[in-house]
Amino acid sequence: MADKKGFFYRAAVFAALTAVYLIVSVPFKVMEIIPGFTDIRPVSMLMPVYGIFFGIPGCMAYAVGNLITDIISDSLKWSSIAGFAANFIGPFCYYLFWTRLSKQSFDLRKPKNILIHTAVIAVDALIVAGIITPSVALSYPEVNSWVFFSVVLANSSLFPFFIGIPLIILMQDELDFSPIKRKNTT
Amino acid sequence: MNKLQANICLVCVTLLWSSEVIIFACIPDSVVPFATTAITNLIASALLFICFFKRIKAAFKSEKKKLLLRVLLLSVLNFGYNNLYQYGLDYFDVSTGAFTLSMTVVILPVILLMYKRNVGKRTWISAGMVLLGILSSYLGRISSINLYGFITLAAGCAIRAVFIIKLNDYSREHDPVSISALISLFVGTFSLAVWLFIQPATFAAIEWNVQIIASLFIYAYFIVAFAQTLNIFAQRRANAASATIIYSLEIVFSLIWGVTMPANLVEQVTPDVFMLIGVAFIILGNLVEIIDFSRLKAIVKGRERIG
Repeated sequence: MADKKGFFYRAAVFAALTAVYLIVSVPFKVMEIIPGFTDIRPVSMLMPVYGIFFGIPGCMAYAVGNLITDIISDSLKWSSIAGFAANFIGPFCYYLFWTRLSKQSFDLRKPKNILIHTAVIAVDALIVAGIITPSVALSYPEVNSWVFFSVVLANSSLFPFFIGIPLIILMQDELDFSPIKRKNTT
Repeated sequence: MNKLQANICLVCVTLLWSSEVIIFACIPDSVVPFATTAITNLIASALLFICFFKRIKAAFKSEKKKLLLRVLLLSVLNFGYNNLYQYGLDYFDVSTGAFTLSMTVVILPVILLMYKRNVGKRTWISAGMVLLGILSSYLGRISSINLYGFITLAAGCAIRAVFIIKLNDYSREHDPVSISALISLFVGTFSLAVWLFIQPATFAAIEWNVQIIASLFIYAYFIVAFAQTLNIFAQRRANAASATIIYSLEIVFSLIWGVTMPANLVEQVTPDVFMLIGVAFIILGNLVEIIDFSRLKAIVKGRERIG
Protein backbone atom coordinates (compact mmCIF):
# COMPACT_ATOMS: atom_id res chain seq x y z
CA MET A 1 0.00 0.00 0.00
CA ALA A 2 2.73 2.44 1.01
CA ASP A 3 5.05 1.29 -1.81
CA LYS A 4 3.39 3.30 -4.58
CA LYS A 5 3.14 6.54 -2.63
CA GLY A 6 5.57 9.43 -2.34
CA PHE A 7 8.02 10.42 0.38
CA PHE A 8 5.59 12.58 2.39
CA TYR A 9 2.96 9.85 2.43
CA ARG A 10 5.55 7.35 3.68
CA ALA A 11 6.75 9.83 6.30
CA ALA A 12 3.17 10.38 7.50
CA VAL A 13 2.58 6.61 7.65
CA PHE A 14 5.85 6.20 9.56
CA ALA A 15 4.89 8.92 12.07
CA ALA A 16 1.37 7.54 12.59
CA LEU A 17 2.65 3.98 13.04
CA THR A 18 5.33 5.11 15.49
CA ALA A 19 2.66 6.93 17.51
CA VAL A 20 0.44 3.82 17.54
CA TYR A 21 3.44 1.73 18.66
CA LEU A 22 4.10 4.11 21.57
CA ILE A 23 0.45 4.25 22.62
CA VAL A 24 0.39 0.45 22.84
CA SER A 25 3.86 -0.18 24.26
CA VAL A 26 4.43 2.51 26.90
CA PRO A 27 1.65 1.47 29.38
CA PHE A 28 3.01 -2.10 29.50
CA LYS A 29 6.30 -0.88 30.94
CA VAL A 30 4.64 -1.38 34.35
CA MET A 31 4.51 -5.15 33.72
CA GLU A 32 8.19 -5.99 33.87
CA ILE A 33 9.43 -9.58 33.87
CA ILE A 34 13.19 -8.89 34.00
CA PRO A 35 13.28 -5.28 35.30
CA GLY A 36 15.04 -2.95 32.87
CA PHE A 37 15.36 -5.65 30.23
CA THR A 38 12.04 -7.13 29.27
CA ASP A 39 8.36 -6.95 30.08
CA ILE A 40 5.04 -8.33 28.83
CA ARG A 41 4.96 -6.96 25.26
CA PRO A 42 1.57 -7.21 23.55
CA VAL A 43 2.97 -4.57 21.17
CA SER A 44 4.66 -7.55 19.45
CA MET A 45 1.25 -8.24 17.89
CA LEU A 46 1.99 -5.24 15.64
CA MET A 47 5.15 -6.87 14.23
CA PRO A 48 3.42 -8.86 11.44
CA VAL A 49 0.84 -6.08 10.94
CA TYR A 50 3.51 -3.42 10.30
CA GLY A 51 5.54 -5.67 7.98
CA ILE A 52 2.65 -7.08 5.96
CA PHE A 53 0.45 -3.98 5.60
CA PHE A 54 2.97 -1.11 5.65
CA GLY A 55 6.30 -2.53 4.39
CA ILE A 56 9.55 -0.63 5.02
CA PRO A 57 7.92 2.42 6.72
CA GLY A 58 6.19 -0.03 9.04
CA CYS A 59 9.47 -1.86 9.83
CA MET A 60 11.20 1.48 10.54
CA ALA A 61 8.29 2.65 12.72
CA TYR A 62 8.46 -0.59 14.71
CA ALA A 63 12.22 -0.27 15.33
CA VAL A 64 12.11 3.46 16.11
CA GLY A 65 9.04 3.00 18.34
CA ASN A 66 10.92 0.37 20.34
CA LEU A 67 13.94 2.65 20.68
CA ILE A 68 11.81 5.61 21.86
CA THR A 69 10.04 3.31 24.36
CA ASP A 70 13.48 2.29 25.72
CA ILE A 71 14.46 5.96 26.04
CA ILE A 72 11.31 7.18 27.78
CA SER A 73 11.16 4.19 30.13
CA ASP A 74 14.79 4.72 31.13
CA SER A 75 15.88 1.32 29.82
CA LEU A 76 18.24 2.45 27.05
CA LYS A 77 21.28 0.16 27.16
CA TRP A 78 24.07 -1.04 24.83
CA SER A 79 21.84 -3.97 23.96
CA SER A 80 19.29 -1.48 22.58
CA ILE A 81 21.42 -1.36 19.39
CA ALA A 82 20.76 -5.08 18.85
CA GLY A 83 17.17 -4.42 19.96
CA PHE A 84 16.82 -1.78 17.22
CA ALA A 85 18.18 -4.21 14.59
CA ALA A 86 15.96 -7.07 15.80
CA ASN A 87 12.88 -4.86 15.88
CA PHE A 88 13.50 -3.80 12.29
CA ILE A 89 14.29 -7.32 11.07
CA GLY A 90 11.26 -8.78 12.92
CA PRO A 91 8.57 -7.07 10.80
CA PHE A 92 10.88 -7.06 7.76
CA CYS A 93 10.88 -10.90 7.72
CA TYR A 94 7.08 -10.88 7.36
CA TYR A 95 7.33 -8.28 4.60
CA LEU A 96 10.07 -10.29 2.85
CA PHE A 97 8.22 -13.58 3.11
CA TRP A 98 4.83 -12.38 1.89
CA THR A 99 6.12 -10.09 -0.88
CA ARG A 100 9.15 -12.01 -2.21
CA LEU A 101 9.30 -15.61 -1.00
CA SER A 102 5.68 -16.73 -0.91
CA LYS A 103 4.06 -17.83 -4.15
CA GLN A 104 0.66 -16.61 -3.06
CA SER A 105 -0.83 -13.34 -1.90
CA PHE A 106 -1.32 -12.81 1.81
CA ASP A 107 -4.60 -13.67 3.43
CA LEU A 108 -5.70 -15.68 6.46
CA ARG A 109 -8.92 -17.12 5.06
CA LYS A 110 -7.88 -20.78 4.77
CA PRO A 111 -6.43 -23.10 7.42
CA LYS A 112 -3.37 -23.71 5.17
CA ASN A 113 -2.55 -19.98 5.03
CA ILE A 114 -2.97 -19.67 8.80
CA LEU A 115 -0.55 -22.59 9.26
CA ILE A 116 2.00 -20.96 6.92
CA HIS A 117 1.66 -17.66 8.77
CA THR A 118 2.09 -19.50 12.11
CA ALA A 119 5.31 -21.07 10.82
CA VAL A 120 6.55 -17.61 9.75
CA ILE A 121 5.73 -16.30 13.25
CA ALA A 122 7.75 -19.14 14.84
CA VAL A 123 10.80 -18.57 12.60
CA ASP A 124 10.58 -14.79 13.05
CA ALA A 125 10.41 -15.12 16.85
CA LEU A 126 13.55 -17.31 16.81
CA ILE A 127 15.36 -14.72 14.66
CA VAL A 128 14.38 -11.82 16.95
CA ALA A 129 15.32 -13.70 20.13
CA GLY A 130 18.52 -14.94 18.43
CA ILE A 131 19.62 -11.36 17.66
CA ILE A 132 18.83 -9.71 21.01
CA THR A 133 19.87 -12.46 23.45
CA PRO A 134 23.62 -12.66 22.59
CA SER A 135 24.00 -8.89 22.92
CA VAL A 136 22.34 -8.91 26.36
CA ALA A 137 24.37 -11.97 27.39
CA LEU A 138 27.63 -10.26 26.36
CA SER A 139 26.85 -6.80 27.77
CA TYR A 140 25.06 -7.86 30.95
CA PRO A 141 26.28 -11.29 32.18
CA GLU A 142 24.20 -10.94 35.35
CA VAL A 143 21.01 -11.43 33.31
CA ASN A 144 19.92 -15.07 32.96
CA SER A 145 20.24 -15.55 29.18
CA TRP A 146 17.89 -18.52 28.96
CA VAL A 147 15.12 -16.72 30.83
CA PHE A 148 15.67 -13.64 28.66
CA PHE A 149 15.66 -15.74 25.46
CA SER A 150 12.46 -17.53 26.55
CA VAL A 151 10.68 -14.27 27.38
CA VAL A 152 11.65 -12.65 24.05
CA LEU A 153 10.67 -15.83 22.19
CA ALA A 154 7.30 -15.98 24.00
CA ASN A 155 6.60 -12.27 23.42
CA SER A 156 7.53 -12.47 19.72
CA SER A 157 5.51 -15.60 19.04
CA LEU A 158 2.48 -15.68 21.35
CA PHE A 159 1.24 -12.10 20.83
CA PRO A 160 1.59 -12.16 17.01
CA PHE A 161 -0.22 -15.51 17.07
CA PHE A 162 -3.04 -14.99 19.59
CA ILE A 163 -3.73 -11.27 19.06
CA GLY A 164 -1.89 -10.48 15.81
CA ILE A 165 -3.81 -13.01 13.70
CA PRO A 166 -7.27 -11.75 14.80
CA LEU A 167 -6.08 -8.15 14.34
CA ILE A 168 -4.95 -8.96 10.78
CA ILE A 169 -8.27 -10.70 10.04
CA LEU A 170 -10.13 -7.63 11.33
CA MET A 171 -7.98 -5.23 9.30
CA GLN A 172 -8.02 -7.17 6.04
CA ASP A 173 -11.52 -8.63 6.02
CA GLU A 174 -13.58 -6.01 7.86
CA LEU A 175 -11.72 -2.69 7.80
CA ASP A 176 -10.46 -2.88 4.18
CA PHE A 177 -6.71 -2.62 4.77
CA SER A 178 -4.70 -4.14 1.92
CA PRO A 179 -1.46 -6.03 2.43
CA ILE A 180 1.58 -4.98 0.37
CA LYS A 181 1.37 -6.80 -2.97
CA ARG A 182 3.79 -9.52 -4.01
CA LYS A 183 6.74 -8.23 -6.03
CA ASN A 184 6.54 -10.93 -8.72
CA THR A 185 2.90 -10.25 -9.59
CA THR A 186 2.14 -8.32 -12.76
CA MET B 1 -14.60 -12.82 7.83
CA ASN B 2 -15.52 -16.50 7.44
CA LYS B 3 -16.62 -18.90 10.18
CA LEU B 4 -13.10 -20.19 10.85
CA GLN B 5 -11.82 -16.63 11.21
CA ALA B 6 -14.77 -15.73 13.45
CA ASN B 7 -13.95 -18.66 15.76
CA ILE B 8 -10.28 -17.59 15.89
CA CYS B 9 -11.37 -14.05 16.78
CA LEU B 10 -13.68 -15.34 19.52
CA VAL B 11 -10.82 -17.37 21.03
CA CYS B 12 -8.71 -14.17 20.99
CA VAL B 13 -11.54 -12.20 22.66
CA THR B 14 -11.78 -14.87 25.37
CA LEU B 15 -8.01 -14.79 25.87
CA LEU B 16 -8.09 -11.01 26.29
CA TRP B 17 -11.00 -11.17 28.74
CA SER B 18 -9.13 -13.78 30.78
CA SER B 19 -6.14 -11.43 31.06
CA GLU B 20 -8.34 -9.06 33.11
CA VAL B 21 -6.97 -10.70 36.26
CA ILE B 22 -3.43 -9.64 35.34
CA ILE B 23 -4.48 -6.03 34.74
CA PHE B 24 -6.67 -5.90 37.86
CA ALA B 25 -3.67 -7.06 39.91
CA CYS B 26 -1.98 -3.77 38.94
CA ILE B 27 -4.96 -1.66 40.09
CA PRO B 28 -5.17 -1.24 43.90
CA ASP B 29 -8.37 -2.24 45.73
CA SER B 30 -8.83 1.41 46.73
CA VAL B 31 -10.03 2.09 43.16
CA VAL B 32 -13.72 1.09 43.25
CA PRO B 33 -14.90 -1.23 40.41
CA PHE B 34 -17.35 1.42 39.10
CA ALA B 35 -14.42 3.81 38.70
CA THR B 36 -12.49 1.24 36.66
CA THR B 37 -15.52 0.50 34.48
CA ALA B 38 -16.35 4.19 33.98
CA ILE B 39 -12.82 5.34 33.13
CA THR B 40 -11.91 2.42 30.87
CA ASN B 41 -15.20 2.48 28.94
CA LEU B 42 -15.06 6.23 28.42
CA ILE B 43 -11.43 6.03 27.20
CA ALA B 44 -12.35 3.16 24.84
CA SER B 45 -15.37 5.05 23.56
CA ALA B 46 -13.29 8.20 22.90
CA LEU B 47 -10.67 6.11 21.09
CA LEU B 48 -13.25 4.43 18.86
CA PHE B 49 -15.04 7.71 18.10
CA ILE B 50 -11.72 9.37 17.16
CA CYS B 51 -10.48 6.50 14.96
CA PHE B 52 -13.79 5.70 13.24
CA PHE B 53 -15.65 9.01 13.36
CA LYS B 54 -16.75 8.93 9.68
CA ARG B 55 -17.96 5.35 9.93
CA ILE B 56 -19.95 5.99 13.12
CA LYS B 57 -21.42 9.20 11.65
CA ALA B 58 -22.55 7.28 8.55
CA ALA B 59 -24.15 4.54 10.68
CA PHE B 60 -25.95 7.21 12.70
CA LYS B 61 -27.28 8.98 9.62
CA SER B 62 -29.03 5.90 8.32
CA GLU B 63 -30.46 4.40 11.51
CA LYS B 64 -30.18 6.82 14.41
CA LYS B 65 -33.18 5.96 16.63
CA LYS B 66 -33.17 2.20 16.07
CA LEU B 67 -29.42 1.95 16.64
CA LEU B 68 -29.52 4.07 19.79
CA LEU B 69 -32.42 2.13 21.34
CA ARG B 70 -30.84 -1.22 20.61
CA VAL B 71 -27.43 -0.20 21.93
CA LEU B 72 -29.11 1.24 25.02
CA LEU B 73 -30.72 -2.16 25.66
CA LEU B 74 -27.36 -3.91 25.15
CA SER B 75 -25.65 -1.46 27.51
CA VAL B 76 -28.26 -1.97 30.25
CA LEU B 77 -27.85 -5.76 29.94
CA ASN B 78 -24.05 -5.44 29.96
CA PHE B 79 -24.10 -3.17 32.99
CA GLY B 80 -26.56 -5.49 34.74
CA TYR B 81 -24.70 -8.77 34.31
CA ASN B 82 -21.31 -7.24 35.13
CA ASN B 83 -22.64 -5.92 38.45
CA LEU B 84 -24.33 -9.20 39.33
CA TYR B 85 -21.04 -10.99 38.57
CA GLN B 86 -19.15 -8.54 40.73
CA TYR B 87 -21.41 -9.07 43.76
CA GLY B 88 -21.91 -12.79 43.17
CA LEU B 89 -18.18 -13.49 42.94
CA ASP B 90 -17.68 -12.15 46.47
CA TYR B 91 -19.31 -15.39 47.72
CA PHE B 92 -16.92 -17.68 45.84
CA ASP B 93 -13.22 -18.45 45.87
CA VAL B 94 -11.49 -17.32 42.65
CA SER B 95 -11.42 -20.66 40.80
CA THR B 96 -14.94 -21.89 41.69
CA GLY B 97 -16.33 -18.46 40.84
CA ALA B 98 -14.61 -18.51 37.46
CA PHE B 99 -15.98 -21.98 36.70
CA THR B 100 -19.48 -20.89 37.73
CA LEU B 101 -19.38 -18.00 35.25
CA SER B 102 -19.20 -20.60 32.46
CA MET B 103 -22.82 -21.41 33.34
CA THR B 104 -23.87 -19.01 30.56
CA VAL B 105 -23.08 -21.85 28.14
CA VAL B 106 -25.72 -24.02 29.78
CA ILE B 107 -28.33 -21.26 30.19
CA LEU B 108 -28.02 -19.82 26.67
CA PRO B 109 -29.47 -22.81 24.74
CA VAL B 110 -32.45 -22.83 27.12
CA ILE B 111 -33.07 -19.12 26.48
CA LEU B 112 -32.71 -19.76 22.73
CA LEU B 113 -35.50 -22.32 23.06
CA MET B 114 -37.63 -19.73 24.86
CA TYR B 115 -37.10 -17.45 21.85
CA LYS B 116 -38.32 -20.45 19.75
CA ARG B 117 -35.00 -20.81 17.95
CA ASN B 118 -33.37 -24.05 16.91
CA VAL B 119 -30.49 -25.39 18.95
CA GLY B 120 -28.28 -28.02 17.27
CA LYS B 121 -27.43 -31.42 18.76
CA ARG B 122 -23.75 -30.50 18.92
CA THR B 123 -24.53 -27.38 20.97
CA TRP B 124 -26.46 -29.46 23.52
CA ILE B 125 -23.56 -31.95 23.77
CA SER B 126 -21.08 -29.09 24.21
CA ALA B 127 -23.26 -27.39 26.83
CA GLY B 128 -23.57 -30.72 28.66
CA MET B 129 -19.81 -31.14 28.72
CA VAL B 130 -19.26 -27.62 30.02
CA LEU B 131 -21.88 -28.31 32.74
CA LEU B 132 -19.95 -31.47 33.70
CA GLY B 133 -16.81 -29.31 33.82
CA ILE B 134 -18.47 -26.84 36.22
CA LEU B 135 -19.81 -29.66 38.42
CA SER B 136 -16.37 -31.32 38.51
CA SER B 137 -14.83 -28.08 39.79
CA TYR B 138 -17.44 -28.07 42.61
CA LEU B 139 -16.39 -31.52 43.90
CA GLY B 140 -14.68 -31.15 47.25
CA ARG B 141 -15.96 -27.58 47.60
CA ILE B 142 -19.75 -28.02 47.67
CA SER B 143 -20.03 -27.13 51.38
CA SER B 144 -18.34 -23.76 50.75
CA ILE B 145 -20.77 -22.70 48.00
CA ASN B 146 -23.17 -20.00 49.13
CA LEU B 147 -26.70 -20.27 47.71
CA TYR B 148 -27.22 -16.49 47.54
CA GLY B 149 -23.94 -16.10 45.64
CA PHE B 150 -24.90 -18.94 43.31
CA ILE B 151 -28.31 -17.40 42.53
CA THR B 152 -26.72 -13.99 41.92
CA LEU B 153 -24.22 -15.48 39.46
CA ALA B 154 -26.92 -17.57 37.78
CA ALA B 155 -29.01 -14.40 37.28
CA GLY B 156 -25.92 -12.68 35.86
CA CYS B 157 -25.34 -15.58 33.47
CA ALA B 158 -29.00 -15.49 32.33
CA ILE B 159 -28.76 -11.75 31.58
CA ARG B 160 -25.45 -12.30 29.79
CA ALA B 161 -27.06 -15.02 27.67
CA VAL B 162 -29.80 -12.58 26.59
CA PHE B 163 -27.08 -9.97 25.90
CA ILE B 164 -25.17 -12.40 23.66
CA ILE B 165 -28.31 -13.38 21.72
CA LYS B 166 -29.29 -9.73 21.19
CA LEU B 167 -25.73 -8.72 20.29
CA ASN B 168 -25.61 -11.57 17.80
CA ASP B 169 -28.83 -10.31 16.18
CA TYR B 170 -27.94 -6.62 16.15
CA SER B 171 -24.36 -7.10 14.93
CA ARG B 172 -25.80 -8.48 11.66
CA GLU B 173 -27.94 -5.37 11.13
CA HIS B 174 -25.75 -2.51 12.37
CA ASP B 175 -22.14 -1.41 12.06
CA PRO B 176 -20.09 -3.30 14.74
CA VAL B 177 -17.73 -0.36 15.35
CA SER B 178 -20.68 1.95 16.07
CA ILE B 179 -22.27 -0.61 18.39
CA SER B 180 -18.97 -1.04 20.25
CA ALA B 181 -18.32 2.71 20.59
CA LEU B 182 -21.87 3.37 21.83
CA ILE B 183 -21.92 0.45 24.29
CA SER B 184 -18.68 1.78 25.79
CA LEU B 185 -20.14 5.28 25.97
CA PHE B 186 -23.38 4.16 27.68
CA VAL B 187 -21.75 1.67 30.08
CA GLY B 188 -19.11 4.28 30.93
CA THR B 189 -21.81 6.87 31.64
CA PHE B 190 -23.93 4.49 33.80
CA SER B 191 -20.84 3.54 35.81
CA LEU B 192 -19.81 7.17 36.17
CA ALA B 193 -23.26 7.98 37.60
CA VAL B 194 -23.05 5.14 40.17
CA TRP B 195 -19.44 6.07 40.98
CA LEU B 196 -20.51 9.67 41.58
CA PHE B 197 -23.27 8.41 43.89
CA ILE B 198 -21.10 6.09 46.02
CA GLN B 199 -17.92 8.19 45.93
CA PRO B 200 -18.76 11.86 45.20
CA ALA B 201 -15.08 12.85 45.03
CA THR B 202 -14.72 10.47 41.99
CA PHE B 203 -11.42 11.22 40.23
CA ALA B 204 -10.02 13.10 43.21
CA ALA B 205 -10.57 10.04 45.41
CA ILE B 206 -8.04 8.00 43.46
CA GLU B 207 -4.40 8.13 44.53
CA TRP B 208 -3.06 8.41 41.01
CA ASN B 209 0.27 6.88 40.06
CA VAL B 210 1.91 5.66 36.86
CA GLN B 211 0.85 2.06 37.46
CA ILE B 212 -2.85 2.87 37.86
CA ILE B 213 -2.88 5.13 34.78
CA ALA B 214 -1.02 2.54 32.67
CA SER B 215 -3.30 -0.30 33.82
CA LEU B 216 -6.46 1.69 33.08
CA PHE B 217 -5.22 2.50 29.57
CA ILE B 218 -4.21 -1.13 28.93
CA TYR B 219 -7.67 -2.24 30.05
CA ALA B 220 -9.34 0.39 27.88
CA TYR B 221 -7.38 -0.49 24.70
CA PHE B 222 -7.33 -4.25 24.92
CA ILE B 223 -10.27 -5.46 26.99
CA VAL B 224 -12.83 -2.81 26.07
CA ALA B 225 -12.03 -1.20 22.69
CA PHE B 226 -10.25 -4.04 20.88
CA ALA B 227 -11.82 -7.18 22.39
CA GLN B 228 -15.36 -5.77 22.38
CA THR B 229 -15.15 -4.59 18.76
CA LEU B 230 -13.53 -7.84 17.61
CA ASN B 231 -16.24 -9.75 19.47
CA ILE B 232 -19.04 -7.87 17.69
CA PHE B 233 -17.43 -8.41 14.26
CA ALA B 234 -17.01 -12.14 15.04
CA GLN B 235 -20.61 -12.41 16.29
CA ARG B 236 -21.76 -11.43 12.80
CA ARG B 237 -20.44 -14.72 11.45
CA ALA B 238 -20.77 -17.03 14.47
CA ASN B 239 -24.00 -18.09 16.09
CA ALA B 240 -24.75 -17.12 19.69
CA ALA B 241 -24.44 -20.67 21.05
CA SER B 242 -21.03 -21.44 19.55
CA ALA B 243 -19.73 -18.00 20.60
CA THR B 244 -20.78 -18.68 24.20
CA ILE B 245 -19.15 -22.10 24.20
CA ILE B 246 -15.88 -20.52 23.04
CA TYR B 247 -16.22 -17.89 25.81
CA SER B 248 -16.17 -20.75 28.33
CA LEU B 249 -12.47 -21.18 27.50
CA GLU B 250 -11.89 -18.13 29.71
CA ILE B 251 -11.47 -20.35 32.75
CA VAL B 252 -8.86 -22.44 30.89
CA PHE B 253 -6.82 -19.34 30.03
CA SER B 254 -7.22 -17.92 33.55
CA LEU B 255 -5.86 -21.15 34.97
CA ILE B 256 -2.90 -21.02 32.57
CA TRP B 257 -2.12 -17.45 33.73
CA GLY B 258 -2.38 -18.53 37.37
CA VAL B 259 0.08 -21.37 36.85
CA THR B 260 2.59 -19.71 34.49
CA MET B 261 2.69 -15.98 35.31
CA PRO B 262 5.04 -14.58 37.97
CA ALA B 263 3.52 -13.86 41.41
CA ASN B 264 3.98 -10.09 41.02
CA LEU B 265 1.57 -10.10 38.07
CA VAL B 266 -1.13 -12.59 39.01
CA GLU B 267 -2.38 -14.57 42.01
CA GLN B 268 -0.69 -17.98 41.74
CA VAL B 269 -3.01 -20.99 41.34
CA THR B 270 -2.21 -24.62 42.11
CA PRO B 271 -4.89 -26.58 40.26
CA ASP B 272 -6.27 -29.66 41.97
CA VAL B 273 -7.44 -32.78 40.14
CA PHE B 274 -11.12 -31.65 40.11
CA MET B 275 -10.20 -28.37 38.45
CA LEU B 276 -8.15 -30.22 35.83
CA ILE B 277 -11.05 -32.57 35.09
CA GLY B 278 -13.33 -29.52 34.84
CA VAL B 279 -10.95 -27.86 32.38
CA ALA B 280 -10.72 -31.07 30.34
CA PHE B 281 -14.54 -31.21 30.01
CA ILE B 282 -14.68 -27.55 28.97
CA ILE B 283 -11.99 -28.07 26.30
CA LEU B 284 -13.85 -31.18 25.05
CA GLY B 285 -17.09 -29.19 24.88
CA ASN B 286 -15.32 -26.55 22.79
CA LEU B 287 -13.80 -29.12 20.42
CA VAL B 288 -17.23 -30.67 19.85
CA GLU B 289 -18.64 -27.25 18.93
CA ILE B 290 -15.73 -25.94 16.83
CA ILE B 291 -14.57 -28.99 14.86
CA ASP B 292 -16.64 -29.78 11.80
CA PHE B 293 -16.89 -33.55 12.30
CA SER B 294 -19.05 -34.17 9.23
CA ARG B 295 -16.37 -32.54 7.05
CA LEU B 296 -13.61 -34.51 8.77
CA LYS B 297 -15.60 -37.70 8.20
CA ALA B 298 -15.99 -36.85 4.52
CA ILE B 299 -12.23 -36.19 4.20
CA VAL B 300 -11.37 -39.51 5.89
CA LYS B 301 -13.87 -41.38 3.68
CA GLY B 302 -12.42 -39.72 0.58
CA ARG B 303 -8.92 -40.80 1.58
CA GLU B 304 -10.09 -44.36 2.20
CA ARG B 305 -11.56 -44.44 -1.30
CA ILE B 306 -8.34 -43.09 -2.83
CA GLY B 307 -6.36 -45.67 -0.79
